[in-house]
Amino acid sequence: MEHSRGQATDDPDWIAAANQPELVEAIARVVALEGKYALLEPEQSTSCGSCVAAGHCGSREWGSAANRLIGRRFTLVNTDEFRVGERLVIGVSHRALLRASMTAYVLPLLIMLLVGIVAQSLAGDDVITMIATAIGLGIGLLAARGVAYILSATGQLAPYFLRRANRSATTCQITAA
Amino acid sequence: MQDYVLLMIGAALVNNVILARFLGLCSFMGVTTRLDTAIGMGLATTFVITVSSMVDWAVGNYLLGPYDLWYLRTVTFILVIAAAVQFTELTVRKVSPPLFKMLGIYLPLITTNCAVLGVALILVEHKMNFIEATLFGFSSSLGFTLVMVMFAGLRERLAFSEVPRLFAGPPIGFITASLLALAFLGFSGISTHS
Repeated sequence: MEHSRGQATDDPDWIAAANQPELVEAIARVVALEGKYALLEPEQSTSCGSCVAAGHCGSREWGSAANRLIGRRFTLVNTDEFRVGERLVIGVSHRALLRASMTAYVLPLLIMLLVGIVAQSLAGDDVITMIATAIGLGIGLLAARGVAYILSATGQLAPYFLRRANRSATTCQITAA
Repeated sequence: MQDYVLLMIGAALVNNVILARFLGLCSFMGVTTRLDTAIGMGLATTFVITVSSMVDWAVGNYLLGPYDLWYLRTVTFILVIAAAVQFTELTVRKVSPPLFKMLGIYLPLITTNCAVLGVALILVEHKMNFIEATLFGFSSSLGFTLVMVMFAGLRERLAFSEVPRLFAGPPIGFITASLLALAFLGFSGISTHS
């Protein structure tokens, strides 16, 4: 935040900027247009800068990073007359990303560990604990599915269109510290 | 219960995967340029390390141990980790496609993370029971995530600081990492023996 540079905290511009939801930016390419929606494919985030080139070469062999990206395509309302092949900068709320990570990874683990600890304290046998832990993981994944459905239905995971990306822009963020 | 708490503190802070065991340094330096990527990568790694710890413990105790195949443990665990990553990816994709669309990008990177293999090898060398091994894996990976997030926050701060040109970029990153490691040495004074 700008605050680290010692800017006055009573500056109205700074206060307005601080109140904006923090967005995580990413670049996605328009791959198809379907009515009022555009189908977008995110670019692979790498530290090598090869993501732009990878999008053009067409080498999408099975199991490659490019192939995985096909599974992550998403739709966006075509508000700005997007064209196929255009690269857009999209944003996702920082909080949404954190919520999604907690839901997908932490919630199932916590339920699994809770069930495992209870099973170990009651039975004291490794085989029974293993079975109980597997069941706990299943319950946790079902719980994660429910929470993810709520997050998705309330639009908390929806990406926003921010601007068109210029030709050289990449998702690679090499910070010059 | 007290034993579990001490085990978790020991694995997460005292013997931190990154700053005490020096594992997973590639992702520590490579993914910590932004806080959001550090959180995403850290939590995905937490899931994979915990699941692979459970499977590695079972494979070690019911397959490698009884048949005297311990010399195959590294190869076996690499296979288990790759399977755990695939399992995680498939599960997240099936459980919630929106979450997969948002988070799936970090999972392929974890397959080559040496911290995952390191935790698996450490836990089979200690004679732990199943739940202890699982908690050890979970807390080790929480320590990994904690350090990733702390370091990402520091690097985001550094981006706004005036750093001498010779130290800009990775050099100041390494200096910061070494200071963080020194700070974590303070946890080594905590006795985790009950």
